[in-house]
Amino acid sequence: MIVVKNVVKTYGKKTSRTDVLKDINIEIPNSSTVAIVGKSGSGKSTLMHIISGLDHPTSGNIIIDDVDLHKMSQKKMDSFRSKKMGFIFQAFFVEANQTCYQNIALPLEIARVSSRSQKKLITQSLKDVDLLDKINAKANDLSGGQKQRLSIARAVVNKPRIIFADEPTGNLDSVNGDKIVDLLFDLNKTLKSTLIIVTHDADLANKCQIKIYLKDGRVDSIEGNSKIKKGEVI
Amino acid sequence: MRIKDIITKSFRSLRSAKARTLLTALAIAVGSFVLSLTLSASNGASQYVHRIIEDNFNPSELIVVKDKTVLGKVNTNSPVVYNPTSTNTGINNAPIARLGDSDIKKITNTPGVESIRLGISVNLLWVKSATSQKYDGSVDAFSPYQNPILLAGSIPKTLDKQKIIIPQGFLQAFGFKTAKDAIGKQITLAISEPVNQTTLDTLLTSPQSTIAEIKAASTPQTQTFEYTVIAVAQKPTVSQPGTELYMYVGPSDASNLNDISTIGTSSYHEYTYVYALVKNGANKNTLNSVASAIKHEGYDTQSVADTEAFLNQIISILQGIVAAFGAIAIIASVFGIVNTMYISVLQRTREIGLMKALGMRRKDIGRLFRLEAAWIGFIGGLLGAILAYIVCILINPWITKKLDLNGQKLLIYNFKAVAILIVVLIIIAIFAGWLPSRKAAKLDPIEALRTE
Repeated sequence: MIVVKNVVKTYGKKTSRTDVLKDINIEIPNSSTVAIVGKSGSGKSTLMHIISGLDHPTSGNIIIDDVDLHKMSQKKMDSFRSKKMGFIFQAFFVEANQTCYQNIALPLEIARVSSRSQKKLITQSLKDVDLLDKINAKANDLSGGQKQRLSIARAVVNKPRIIFADEPTGNLDSVNGDKIVDLLFDLNKTLKSTLIIVTHDADLANKCQIKIYLKDGRVDSIEGNSKIKKGEVI
Repeated sequence: MRIKDIITKSFRSLRSAKARTLLTALAIAVGSFVLSLTLSASNGASQYVHRIIEDNFNPSELIVVKDKTVLGKVNTNSPVVYNPTSTNTGINNAPIARLGDSDIKKITNTPGVESIRLGISVNLLWVKSATSQKYDGSVDAFSPYQNPILLAGSIPKTLDKQKIIIPQGFLQAFGFKTAKDAIGKQITLAISEPVNQTTLDTLLTSPQSTIAEIKAASTPQTQTFEYTVIAVAQKPTVSQPGTELYMYVGPSDASNLNDISTIGTSSYHEYTYVYALVKNGANKNTLNSVASAIKHEGYDTQSVADTEAFLNQIISILQGIVAAFGAIAIIASVFGIVNTMYISVLQRTREIGLMKALGMRRKDIGRLFRLEAAWIGFIGGLLGAILAYIVCILINPWITKKLDLNGQKLLIYNFKAVAILIVVLIIIAIFAGWLPSRKAAKLDPIEALRTE
């Protein structure tokens, strides 16, 4: 369970002050699929960054399985992130000069997984995204869809509890985009991890169990079977 | 992240920017090259010095003198008081005090001194073989510590009387076709006997003396000696300059010749320097304590180690000057590394952001970039060192030939010192990568990952 409690995020001070998030309260059950939907500037990316621990809230808490994420030491949070979170980005962020194998090895190296298990995990995750034949190919030689599949393989290789996907289909055509979405939801089912997608694509959002609509830094509405409350303390 | 993974990862990112890496490394390579060559040259030079000394002296012996100026300790700033017992042969024509029989006795009796060997050099009037014309020449007492390379013949432990070792340089002059030819042949040495002042004075004051008698007494007499060649010494690989044409006879023969040529003069039984063999002189402390005991008697000494240290000091000064240029090259290359590393951090902003998002620790990211700098240092250092090694191999024969070192190499590659040099360069490179790596470690992952 991920609990977002009274999260406020402001940038700047006094006259130049902008409130990006204004008192957000959400509960996300484990193994659910969640879409955070909103226009650009609605604060959806910032919310994702705060839930993933990349950004700090001005006030409020993120509680993941009864642990307050932002009260951890940096070292603990890094280790927590390397073991329990996976990331997928709109622009893929695969290392063009490195092979598929080396790209996927990165999170495992960071999590200090032994090189023997690394090999097993990497092979498995490349199989999962159907890129096993490209294991030694340079990421540069892959198509856009393949690159995003590679980045998905990288996100799921260490079997994370939570997968964050920031506009995963934003850089893809509709055919490839659909493939990626199917793949994401399939993997989510088999891994039983929580999938949090940030998107402004209504079709993609509709495939998620829970939809959180953000507007001007507030939760505008929620759809789905979660106990999500709107702008109020649980 | 494991250190092993960080090392391979940092190397991988260098490989993806080959040209940049290589150019930065080349700057370090210049410094590394100069320093490696300097190390090789000083190594070769000090081995050369060591060989000269080993082949000519016994490290357990001390050179003992009465006059400091003989050892090059000259005071040219203030005038020297005239000493009537000195002869005018010192530096700047200042008279030098010499060691007489009583001095030698005193030195012999110094505790720790085992024996005394005289340093004798006799200037001949002329020297010739049975068939040749007359030549100028010098004869020295053969030192048991000399190891000349012989072209022919052999040298017994103690040289017999009337036996002589001639240098290669005299072979042709004496009319010998080969070195072997010379063995067993006769050589004639001529010495001019000084005028006996007392005899002359008596003759001059006596009214009975005839002109012929006075003329005979005032003309220096020439004595000749027949010597048998027992060995021909090759022109030495390493030698004290000016000794290449010396001939060598046994110590007692040399003493005898010296006495004849100096009898009746102030030089008779007077020696500029003697060698004192110290018991257990291989031990530096023993040698030093005996040296100070002799100094206490009013003499000055110099050991082989002193000489070597003095020569090595000159070498290190020259070496220091060259090394300074190498160091300047390295300092310049440090800025190159700093610049390259900043570019690397900028280019990989997104990758850094990703690694941070995936939970890579700040410390490890800093390390990643410092190791990248270390790789540049290592590659540059190795490149320069290899280049220096190749140059050593290529130009050594040429130098040896040009400087007439007869087989002695001047550039001797010092692997251990070069290995240390490379390690030092790696450490310098790591320091150069410090600021850029800090920038990388401090990068805000959200900023780094922002695509628009």
